[in-house]
Amino acid sequence: MMEALLNKALRGSEQAEIYRLRQQTDQIHFENGRLKEMESKMQSGLSLRIIKDGCLGFAYTKNLLSPDDLVQQAQDSLQGQVEAPFDLPSDPPPLSLQTFDPFLFKVSNAKLVEEGRRICDFLKARVQAQVNVSLHRQNQEIELVNNRGLHQHLINSSYFVNASLLFPGSQAGIEQHHSAKGFSEFPEETLLSILSLFQQSLKELRPQPGRMKVMFFPETLYALIWRIQAAANGKNIYEKTSPLLDKKEALLFDSQITLYDDPLNDAQPQARGFDDEGIPCRRIAIIDRGVLKNFYYDLFYAGKLKKEPSGQGFKSALWGGETVAIKPRPALEYLYLQPGEHSLAELIRSIDRGILVAGVLGAHSGNILNGDFSIGLTPAIYVEKGEILGRVKEAMAAGNIYEVLKKVAALEDTAHPTYGGTFPALLLEDVNVAW
Amino acid sequence: MPFKNLESILANVRAEYADLRYEIKKEVLIVFSGRELTQISSSTTDGYVLRVLKNGGFATVVFTEEKDGQTALAKAEENARLIGRFTGEPVHLASTEVIQDSFSPILNEDPRTIDLEEKLHLTRSYNQRPLQKEKIVTTQIQYLELVREKFFINTEGTRLREDLITTRLGGTITSQEGSLTQTVRVGMGGSSGFALLRNQQALFDEKTALALELLQATPVTGGSYSVILNPNLAGVFTHEAFGHFSEADLIEDSPSMLEKLQLGAEIGDPGLSILDDPTRPDQLGFYKYDDEGVACRPVPLITNGILSGRLHSRRTAARFGEPLTGHAVAEDHRYGPIIRMGTIFIKPGQSDFNRLLDQLGNGLYLIDSLGGQTSGENFTFGAEYGYEVQNGRLGKMIRDINISGNLYQTLRNIKGIGNDLELSQLGGCGKGQTNIRSCHGGPHILVKDVVIGGR
Repeated sequence: MMEALLNKALRGSEQAEIYRLRQQTDQIHFENGRLKEMESKMQSGLSLRIIKDGCLGFAYTKNLLSPDDLVQQAQDSLQGQVEAPFDLPSDPPPLSLQTFDPFLFKVSNAKLVEEGRRICDFLKARVQAQVNVSLHRQNQEIELVNNRGLHQHLINSSYFVNASLLFPGSQAGIEQHHSAKGFSEFPEETLLSILSLFQQSLKELRPQPGRMKVMFFPETLYALIWRIQAAANGKNIYEKTSPLLDKKEALLFDSQITLYDDPLNDAQPQARGFDDEGIPCRRIAIIDRGVLKNFYYDLFYAGKLKKEPSGQGFKSALWGGETVAIKPRPALEYLYLQPGEHSLAELIRSIDRGILVAGVLGAHSGNILNGDFSIGLTPAIYVEKGEILGRVKEAMAAGNIYEVLKKVAALEDTAHPTYGGTFPALLLEDVNVAW
Repeated sequence: MPFKNLESILANVRAEYADLRYEIKKEVLIVFSGRELTQISSSTTDGYVLRVLKNGGFATVVFTEEKDGQTALAKAEENARLIGRFTGEPVHLASTEVIQDSFSPILNEDPRTIDLEEKLHLTRSYNQRPLQKEKIVTTQIQYLELVREKFFINTEGTRLREDLITTRLGGTITSQEGSLTQTVRVGMGGSSGFALLRNQQALFDEKTALALELLQATPVTGGSYSVILNPNLAGVFTHEAFGHFSEADLIEDSPSMLEKLQLGAEIGDPGLSILDDPTRPDQLGFYKYDDEGVACRPVPLITNGILSGRLHSRRTAARFGEPLTGHAVAEDHRYGPIIRMGTIFIKPGQSDFNRLLDQLGNGLYLIDSLGGQTSGENFTFGAEYGYEVQNGRLGKMIRDINISGNLYQTLRNIKGIGNDLELSQLGGCGKGQTNIRSCHGGPHILVKDVVIGGR
């Protein structure tokens, strides 16, 4: 089918590429300890890119109801004369990674429901609070072919579980996340750490706001790192809107900050050997000991800037866009922040006065490119003399990453997988907090 | 084709209730990044959403290919049985009229009849306006046309066809001076046709000027302030801070929220009334039937400070024992419906803007939204810019404004309501799925004591 479509597409163009995606997912959601929703999906789709006279044509579909229509739509889009400053790649297949667990979908939904109930019951037996648990599993197959001989193929499987305890009257709470390539039980020690933090921060406080030490938990660090991602994005370099334009090799942050992208780490789910344009992936440092090392590109912006594509062109979108409908764009999908040397407990004990950020709201607001942030904290957990005293409602933290990340007190000694990357907790010396 | 094929998929269902929605989605997208056209495409996708109620469990299966229909059915039945067994509270659906109807909105220029070339030309012409100015470094301007052709059947006999047609043109304008950049949102759109997008040069010029002016504005100092919100921001506030808690599915399993949000509870200042009305024609949020085949209707949510209504799906209406409202809406053929606001707004009051300024005395006047988010009773949203107000007079321009607060306190702190009303043309709400037709608005409002996070 792919070959026939490719040949059809080549009738009116010089180069053609087909990206095909099949996904199978199950989602199970418990709210307030009760099984509430189950949603299963069996979806597929494909997108077609063609290049003719240096211009790019694009179309996509779900059911390939009519191959002729799809090719026609791609050809129609050539009239816009979107520049194609690149040739499609002809790279050989990359290293093969261990991304697939054939047993993930052998587990019955009944078994997943049982696991969800186990987590709910474990937490409910120890605390009186709203318990929410979500389980999610997915098998994903990606096939990418082009007329220059490229043929990349992968199947990956992923299993994510999120468990949270909510404070009374709010959606704010303490949450933790468990992920793997296959089914495995949510670790009890993680559940116990949710419980302990929850219980210590139950009391509502109203201390004096102002500048203080602020620790971002791994699940909340995306709010800061998002600003670095935006500034190092090849698109914003090309458009000259990034404040980092001429800052390569400059010391931007505290030397404890090392941030890199590593799609090849197949110890974690959804590792990738090639990006959504077929370019082999590799580990790339963005920040090394505080120094800006690299920007990142897809084919389009690498071509525009006459750089090598870095294998970071992904069809990814915020807010769950339709993958096949999205053009590849520069994206850091596999971020790692290097851990430090102290345990979380040690870090907390080192805080004379400060807050722990266990959840954030509104990370998408504010001037992201400038590095500004102004976020709601859900919750802010208050610490004095190394002891957690309680939590503050309706708190906000604000600042600029190019200021606050210059003064890092310490990083936790373990990195945890989160939705935004694999991060340790990060303790900052001096951040402005309001309530 | 569709109804017959849909009926054959549902023919073998063994359940108390089932429905099946098939959608064809046509999307035209034209994207400019600065001077560069980076995407132009018109594409068609389709897919199915099946829901089955069996043994008190209600399950959803989404599938792309028709041949997977029977597999989907078996999976939905299995999942429904599992939910029924463990949920603790069997699902019932509120009964609704069986409807057979086909509805297509009346448009002022159907975008489907306009050439791609003309759409490209119009988008390019707007995009060029800001880029002529020095210090405007880039833009992100896109034309989006989204047509959902929906076919819905259920085992009760409802057969519905409705088209939802959304067009919008807009994005952001970015200015720069030294290492400082400022980004301003611009755009227009709606459900009423392509004509709305024409002759909007003045809007683009006005927003360009604003992006330049913001380079000189002062970052706001964090702290607690009394503020006037303009209609756009009042709308975002209404949506984020209150609207989400009128969605029954968001609060149904939160005992503490349910306790505070009983119908009849005094929840706001007596001057405050809030309505959700998807039936208002020509608004972004307009539709006739929701994605459960229920005709939508206006819902008074707060009437003179008293909680007076809630937004429901068939499931939650039955669970709460409250009337159906027709607010179960899906993003597209990839999702089952969830409860969404349609067109939500604060009812206008008596005060003109100058009276609100006098009433405010000292504080801030905040204008236009940069998006928001809710978590339980806490909310956060950004304002694009604003002005300091001293003794009822507008002072210097401010920026970098994020507001956060508590739902209950803030509703009581709305102490002034303007006599104007403006509804948004660009919606967008990301409650798990995106709803580009989420429409909100209101008059100018005065709110006491909100927390502003500064730099």
